[in-house]
Amino acid sequence: MTRFTRRGMFRATVAGAALTVLSTGWAAAQQSGGTLDVGLTYEIDTMNVYSTGYLGDAQATIVEGLLAPDKDANYVPVLATEVPTLDNGGIELSEDGETMTITYHLREGVTWHDGEPFTSADVAFTWEAVKDPAFIAESKSGTETIDSIETPDDHTVIVHYNTVAPDFASTLFTFGVMPKHVLEGVDLNTAEYNELPIGTGPFMATEFERGQYVVAERNPDYWRTAEDGTQLPYLDRIVFHIVPDSNTVMTQLRSGELDLVVKTPYNQAAQIEAMDGLELVVGPLLSWQHLDFNFRNAMLDDLAVRQAVAHAIDREVLIRAQGGFPEAIKSIVVPVFSMYDDTTPELAYDVDMANQLLDEAGYEMGDDGIRTKDGERMSFEFVVTAGNADDENIQQILMAQLKEIGIELVPDNRAGVAYREARYSGDYDMIYGRWITSADPVYSVFYGTGGANNGQDYSDPALDEVLATLESSLDPEIRQEASSTMQHMIAEDLPSIPLTTNVALITKTTALKNFVPNPTNMTNFVNTADWYLEE
Amino acid sequence: MSFSFLIRRILGAIPLLFGISLVLFTIIHLAPGGPLDVYADNPSVSPEALEQIREAFGLDRPVPVQYVLWLRSMLVGDWGLSIRTGRPVLDEILTRLGPTMQLGGISMLLSFLVAVPLGIISAARRGSRTDSTVTLAAFAGISLPVFWSALLLQLVFSVWLGWLPSAGMKSIGDGSVSDRLLHLILPVTVLSLATIASWSRYIRSGMVDVLSQDYIRTAYAKGRREGSVILRHALRNAMIPAVTVIAIDFVTIISGAVITETVFAWPGIGRLFVESMNGRDYPMLMGLMMMGSVGVVAANIIADIVYATLDPRIRHG
Repeated sequence: MTRFTRRGMFRATVAGAALTVLSTGWAAAQQSGGTLDVGLTYEIDTMNVYSTGYLGDAQATIVEGLLAPDKDANYVPVLATEVPTLDNGGIELSEDGETMTITYHLREGVTWHDGEPFTSADVAFTWEAVKDPAFIAESKSGTETIDSIETPDDHTVIVHYNTVAPDFASTLFTFGVMPKHVLEGVDLNTAEYNELPIGTGPFMATEFERGQYVVAERNPDYWRTAEDGTQLPYLDRIVFHIVPDSNTVMTQLRSGELDLVVKTPYNQAAQIEAMDGLELVVGPLLSWQHLDFNFRNAMLDDLAVRQAVAHAIDREVLIRAQGGFPEAIKSIVVPVFSMYDDTTPELAYDVDMANQLLDEAGYEMGDDGIRTKDGERMSFEFVVTAGNADDENIQQILMAQLKEIGIELVPDNRAGVAYREARYSGDYDMIYGRWITSADPVYSVFYGTGGANNGQDYSDPALDEVLATLESSLDPEIRQEASSTMQHMIAEDLPSIPLTTNVALITKTTALKNFVPNPTNMTNFVNTADWYLEE
Repeated sequence: MSFSFLIRRILGAIPLLFGISLVLFTIIHLAPGGPLDVYADNPSVSPEALEQIREAFGLDRPVPVQYVLWLRSMLVGDWGLSIRTGRPVLDEILTRLGPTMQLGGISMLLSFLVAVPLGIISAARRGSRTDSTVTLAAFAGISLPVFWSALLLQLVFSVWLGWLPSAGMKSIGDGSVSDRLLHLILPVTVLSLATIASWSRYIRSGMVDVLSQDYIRTAYAKGRREGSVILRHALRNAMIPAVTVIAIDFVTIISGAVITETVFAWPGIGRLFVESMNGRDYPMLMGLMMMGSVGVVAANIIADIVYATLDPRIRHG
């Protein structure tokens, strides 16, 4: 039942982009120069990657980390010379297998935008600065699993962990490294750095006018050169214009005032295809929508009920209600990830099957069209985010679809923090929502016994073991296998029904080349050095 | 109109502002959601991290305590820190006030210069073809939604003709006076259209009332020409109802023309307010709304003074 057409379309797009990279690599020489005007639809709060409430689009051109996720959400080295693994000796397990030590070798000859050399001291400083409780930041994860950092020389960083953390690459040091010589002894909450950060990236922050724009000028001393020896980056300048109104964004694309918009509204995407000089790139996103059950409810604890619900949902309708752009999924691991297992079983849309399952399990249809068992009606409190139009539409559809099989859903929507609290504490029977993750997310917080985001009271000791293996092993094969097992177990026991995953609709000028969409929280701007404008 | 009256009005405003601040503070805390909602879909922000942020901003305290803390620092001129950006609220507001004053001030001036003659002509030639045309145009101006006229102007002047920038306050690396003026044309036009339309109606109706008074007939009887009668005898009295509207509109514009600023990506107060509202940035919202409240109170006092100046019969004892 899962449609792979759009996925296929995306694959074709990425393949196309990859082909473009390959062909232009030899055929036409890349052109240096030019200004790229980018439209952002949100107001940048701070340029500090650790404290911004948004994804750091503009920041990604300026600040670099040791590693970065590529277009397939796999980590590649940036300021480190290689991604540490067990095989290359970058990761060493302690004898008891309880802790690990990671050694990064840093790239030599990298300088900060102010000309100072980039060294291992900066890496150690970044950990200390982010860890400091006085620094108010959203993204502190990854700091608490590190015990100490050694810097034997300027280009070696030895990180001692107090646990085994296969997700070490997903936050700290990947988000970015901060310059010690600029920030030591400075209050990070109010530092000038939060306006104009100093990084090592291909572009330098030169101007930040609040509510208007951020200018990122070419870094002439950037450490990377193209294969033919050309100094990177190609572009002279990237300007991030803050344009909060989506109609204005479309007007500015049309008038040529903007060249690239990474978040095209779904309902305006159709216009783009008719515009000369512009094209739409469909990219994946690491987020998925899901319907969760509360296991404190005796009926929902019954697997037959959960299976019946899964059979009763027609994802096609959900997708159409969201402009036709999201894609149907069957696994909690979204298909972008290499860990995704295509053989994950799926309960197809089949109302008869759903009814049959409920009949067999002893849920009898009542006169009011709602089933009962032992005198209790199949009526559940259903929570979605109040005020989110998409989610409230989906809620109506799911209510109608489950009504077909004699299950009544009673909406009990909450806004913001109230929704979040309901989700954590399990104050619902069924809940619809989404998770947005980094590359290589930790799944035990959702489905592990007592996991921080497991408000469902779901507990499966066998799954806990698999999750533990997945999250403590550093061996790619063992992890892949554990991930497959996890995907199968969840698809079979159905604590959560994965429904759809979103896509990013990127509008760009056809003149912009080497643009490759990136699905991760490191944004599409993680590799701007290679971008160039063709005349 | 005496100096002591002014003092009394200003002193009387103080308890009023306290009351307003209490009501505002209560309302924004009653509104569903909170400043940490932005993290709701992000599983890597742990409940512990949220608790830390909550404590850092004092959001874990009871609301009355939060109000007292806010009031205490406000009284010594500390507007607090924005939860969203971590920067001082006052700095953020001042940064945005300039562009808003620029856009609002120029629009007000232009509106005034156009609306007054339009209203007068319309009233003096009541029932004529000119009056009907002005009336029709005014109703069209009032009825056109701002976002629609903005889109239309952008389409014509930026996309089709390519004469004007469609949005923003200045070009990157330019910022000269002429560049800024070019950027001002569209938003000022849009903002003025609706204002001119509404003000000209107030001035027209004030004028129509006054022109039927006995003293106007007397002025004509003394042999005054029409222009002189209107400007020297009628206009001052006809302006009184309009002054109230203009004073209140002025505050509205200073509080930010939300739609105009959003559509034209103008970095003003209105957008800051919307952004802060979406993020439930309590300190910022309080700062903005208190500024608006002080504005309304001040505009009322100023309007009273203007009444007395326009019409010496009005005395504030």
